[in-house]
Amino acid sequence: MLIFTLRRLSLFIFTMLVLTLLSFSLSFLFPGDSIINISGAINATPAQLIEIEKHYHTESNIFWQYITYLHNIVNGELGISMASQSDIATEVLNLLPATIELSLVALFIAMFVGIPLGFIAAIKHNKTTDNIIVSVSMLGYSIPVFWLGILAILTFSINLGWLPSAGQISLLFEIELITGIQFIDILLSDSPYKWQAFSDATAHIILPACVIAVAPATIFIRLARTSMIEVLETSYIRAANAKGLTFRQMIFRHAIRNALIQIIRHVGLQFANLVTIAMVTEVIFSWPGIGRWLIESIYQRDYTAIQSGLLVLSCFIFIVHILTDFIYAALNPLARGNKYGS
Amino acid sequence: MTLMNKIKVNLLACLSLFALSACYDESTVSLDEHSVIYCAEGSPETFNPQLVTSGTTIDATSNQLYDRLLSYQGKENTLTPAIAKAWHVTKNGKKITFYLRKNVAFHQTEYFTPSRFLNADDIIFSFNRILNKNHPFHYVSGGDYPFFQNIEFNSLVEKIEKINDHTVRFHLTHPDNSFLANLATDYAVILSAEYAEQLSKQQRKSNIDTDPIGTGPFKLKEYRIGSFIRYYRHEQYWREPVKIEQLVFDITPSNTGRLTKLLAKECDISAYPIAHNKIGENKSLTLESITALNVGYFGFNIKKPPFDNKLVRQAVSYAINKKVLLDTVYKGKAVLAKSILPNTSWAFDDTIPTHEFNPVLAKSLLNTAGFPQGFTMDLWAMPVQRPYNPNAITMAKLIQADLNDIGIKVNIVSYEWNTFLNRLKLGEHQSFLLGWSADHPDPDNFFSPMLSCSASNTGSNTTFWCNQEYDDIIQKALQTTDLSQRKKFYSQAMKIIEEEIPLIPIAHSKRYQARNKEITGDILAAFGGINFYHIDKNKKTPLSAKSNNAVKVAQPNVGEN
Amino acid sequence: MARDKIYLEEIFPSPFMQLWQVFRKTPSAMAGLSCFIFLIILAVFAPILAPHSPIDGQLDMLLLPPAWHPDGNISYLLGTDELGRDMLSRLMYGTSLTFGLSFIVVITSLIIGVVIGSLSALTTGIKSSFLNHCLDVILSIPSLLLAIIIVAILGPGISNTVWAVVIVLIPQFIHITRYAVKEESRKDYVLASRLDGASPFRILYYSIFPNIVDRVMSQATLAQSAAILDIATLGFLGLGAQIPLPEWGATLANGLDLFYIAPWTVYLPGLAILFAVIVTNLVGEGIRHSLKLRKDK
Repeated sequence: MLIFTLRRLSLFIFTMLVLTLLSFSLSFLFPGDSIINISGAINATPAQLIEIEKHYHTESNIFWQYITYLHNIVNGELGISMASQSDIATEVLNLLPATIELSLVALFIAMFVGIPLGFIAAIKHNKTTDNIIVSVSMLGYSIPVFWLGILAILTFSINLGWLPSAGQISLLFEIELITGIQFIDILLSDSPYKWQAFSDATAHIILPACVIAVAPATIFIRLARTSMIEVLETSYIRAANAKGLTFRQMIFRHAIRNALIQIIRHVGLQFANLVTIAMVTEVIFSWPGIGRWLIESIYQRDYTAIQSGLLVLSCFIFIVHILTDFIYAALNPLARGNKYGS
Repeated sequence: MTLMNKIKVNLLACLSLFALSACYDESTVSLDEHSVIYCAEGSPETFNPQLVTSGTTIDATSNQLYDRLLSYQGKENTLTPAIAKAWHVTKNGKKITFYLRKNVAFHQTEYFTPSRFLNADDIIFSFNRILNKNHPFHYVSGGDYPFFQNIEFNSLVEKIEKINDHTVRFHLTHPDNSFLANLATDYAVILSAEYAEQLSKQQRKSNIDTDPIGTGPFKLKEYRIGSFIRYYRHEQYWREPVKIEQLVFDITPSNTGRLTKLLAKECDISAYPIAHNKIGENKSLTLESITALNVGYFGFNIKKPPFDNKLVRQAVSYAINKKVLLDTVYKGKAVLAKSILPNTSWAFDDTIPTHEFNPVLAKSLLNTAGFPQGFTMDLWAMPVQRPYNPNAITMAKLIQADLNDIGIKVNIVSYEWNTFLNRLKLGEHQSFLLGWSADHPDPDNFFSPMLSCSASNTGSNTTFWCNQEYDDIIQKALQTTDLSQRKKFYSQAMKIIEEEIPLIPIAHSKRYQARNKEITGDILAAFGGINFYHIDKNKKTPLSAKSNNAVKVAQPNVGEN
Repeated sequence: MARDKIYLEEIFPSPFMQLWQVFRKTPSAMAGLSCFIFLIILAVFAPILAPHSPIDGQLDMLLLPPAWHPDGNISYLLGTDELGRDMLSRLMYGTSLTFGLSFIVVITSLIIGVVIGSLSALTTGIKSSFLNHCLDVILSIPSLLLAIIIVAILGPGISNTVWAVVIVLIPQFIHITRYAVKEESRKDYVLASRLDGASPFRILYYSIFPNIVDRVMSQATLAQSAAILDIATLGFLGLGAQIPLPEWGATLANGLDLFYIAPWTVYLPGLAILFAVIVTNLVGEGIRHSLKLRKDK
């Protein structure tokens, strides 16, 4: 496990260096002055500009500038947004939890729906149930998510009037931002409308989370199906069968557990995929997350925000990736020897 | 582990879903009953209207947070007292004295607690900030006061004198017909001098424009950029307080997004609605409109060839089928513009000639101008919906087709709204689609800021057309008190525009708004920003319906205090 | 005079032909393939087949519903949009933008990816390890996010979108080629030709490539469906194809403002994207299915 940890750590450091280097070079790749791109101080007076240049050490060589940049990141200084002139680090800290919350809920929906369906399909391999599940899942990962979102709003918000169409919670409820994760904030708040706020927030998250969950759920179906079919063909299942265990006992005691381990390996990669889908879905459901903010920054050519937003988002995805690798390694000793996780 | 917590939270969320239907109990209803959500089309740039000309910012701030010395009242748009309970103008028109109310309270918020009522110091602070370049607050937030620069406020006001705590006197360098009207516009708001002093001490001067303190019917509770603005009722408002407790601006730039929220009952009122038929079909919604004083136009940058040639401008003017534009872009719900002044203004002259659609004449004019083969041009179309033009991109595509017929190739260019305006000011464009909404009912508000030479210097006249004869006429009109004489001057000005054609007026449109029928009270105004002072929300219980009627009758009286 | 065969030769079909033998017996895959070919024809011949111009509208035919609706007009089979542009023609031209471009994108990145992948398979040691690390990093970032990043750097526009998607897809091809080549190199037949003294490139070209074509093709269909979705999504977000271009995602975004009065302007482009992706996936499933059957034999 130690070697495994060290290996992951080296990969992590390597990746962080690559990502920060990329993000640092973006300020030179974007049009305009690199110092303004990196700081976002678009309205700075010449005197302030000199101050900023000193802060970023522009007079020294490029390597030293990069070190300063790293130093700033570690201190949580990501510059200010060119469009709104507000501090990017605070904005990101407010927005990222909303995206995490949405993605996690979607991930759980995808897993709770996808994995059992995949198992059922595997158990009924090559029967009608299997065929139906496989065809539906193909439809699921072929559908463009933005279109699905629009159709979902039309059906569930406008025509049926069951669920709200936009936002994280009705704006009438005043919930103070503490952790940024809406549900925790509601529970922490002392608002007299706490429980109404809670159910309102729940109603708001269902539609976007389900829309996001569709594509990953189909992938979980496929993963669960393949891994279950593999497990069912192994010798220990045959042994269990020979022992005289009932089919039910065999599936629940032996097969599911072993099949699940194979799936956990892919959760990290799927989560990354899911966050991307969430970015697009946030635009449609006006979810106040980092994806919508990033896409709006691209429209407005807010280079400082793009640069920092990308850095934060890709770091986040990578950290999740490594974390799931650890969980997988903890659960499955065989995996620790593998050189490359994915 | 946090993951476990999240699972728990998630499970809780799922469980509470089942309780959802049962959750609609009394306390939610009461929160909902006293709150109104307004779906706005954009974020304000600042919370101080002195600093801007953007309609979106004015809508969000001016009438909600602040009061002016004077305001407009009724259909005739007569000037009525607001913070000033009375005023007096000397015979030569150069000294104007305002007598202030004594019971006007400023907002009390988390960041400021006023120790006194409004007095003369606040008035002097608010205007000196604009007038005096050495004022400690002049250069806070950039030092640009575009509305006041356009009307040349600095050269007009000599000084402001404090007579006593509740009397101030404005000394003017020359009489000006539109001075009082300008003081009643949404830009001439009154800030708190005491708050400014507190901020100076705390070294946080710029907060005066981001954490506003005013005397208006609402106070700012919370603003999350690009997301929402939350206003609370100002309990100590000098008129009767507003009937709702909370007003939320839900910032939704997407047209479809606003309509969806309105249909899904997630907002009570929506700015600039689309799909009017769809709203009409829905029984719980109403669509309202007001004949706003505005004009949407197609302008030329006359500093750039080929539009420095008058004949080319005329040719383009004859080549555009305005009727089609009105039918397609405005869905037939606008008035064809004969000139820049709307036909509802008293100064409008029906006899001025206009350019009818005539492609043959256009082609021959183009030949005379020396472009028999036509040319290629850029047309800048605004990216957002405004009252004077609901869809500039569509309009640009139609103009593209019209001009193609006389051999002119058009490239459509569009930028993000703020970038668009900034680049226009720099004169990077060849031609553009834009418009003008009036700030006050005086006709001068169309002639000066749109086409005068001084406006072309400050960048508010982006045709950069500067005609001395025209400028002289509108100056004369400003100094004449006789209405029929003024009307004659404006007629001449409109003839010059028709001949010189620095821009092609296209339409005078209505401003639309859709709302849930539960919301009562006027919001829209013919000019200037929207006003939420009169609104109320009725739940459809029969008992409260009765009391509503009483409220409705009472409302007009409130404003006349 | 025909030459008689002296020896009775056993004819071994190439792996590709073996694949085809199985593939043609799967009805769903064949249906997918015929639709795929139909889309390619449409993409190439859209300018000839389309009844109207995709850019110039008929101003007296605004927002016509599709022909089966009582208010529809038979000469505008799928209705018109807010400028009177024929939806059918826009969708047909859109085929060459969304589907056609994604096809070109996949071919381009396939070629680049396979070349780099097979070269890198020949390297070992520190270079290989470095490449592996880099691939790991890039592959862990989802393709759409990477495409958004690249468009953010290059600026919005259809050509930048195409470049972005090409760049995004290359690592996947490198990864699969590298893996497949390494796997094949361990096999005896490669060893045999190596012992014959063949140069590494010769081995690669004559021995290994024919045996990995099927796997690369399977990856290509996955890449194609991702490319269609990426191009359409970027178009929808306004980062891809710009205003007058009838790219499906952009057409859908354009219809969004009309959703409540002219819903067909949103339904139809969405259906078109769905159709193209399903067709591609059917072909891909067919290939993977045949691969599996062949292995099982």
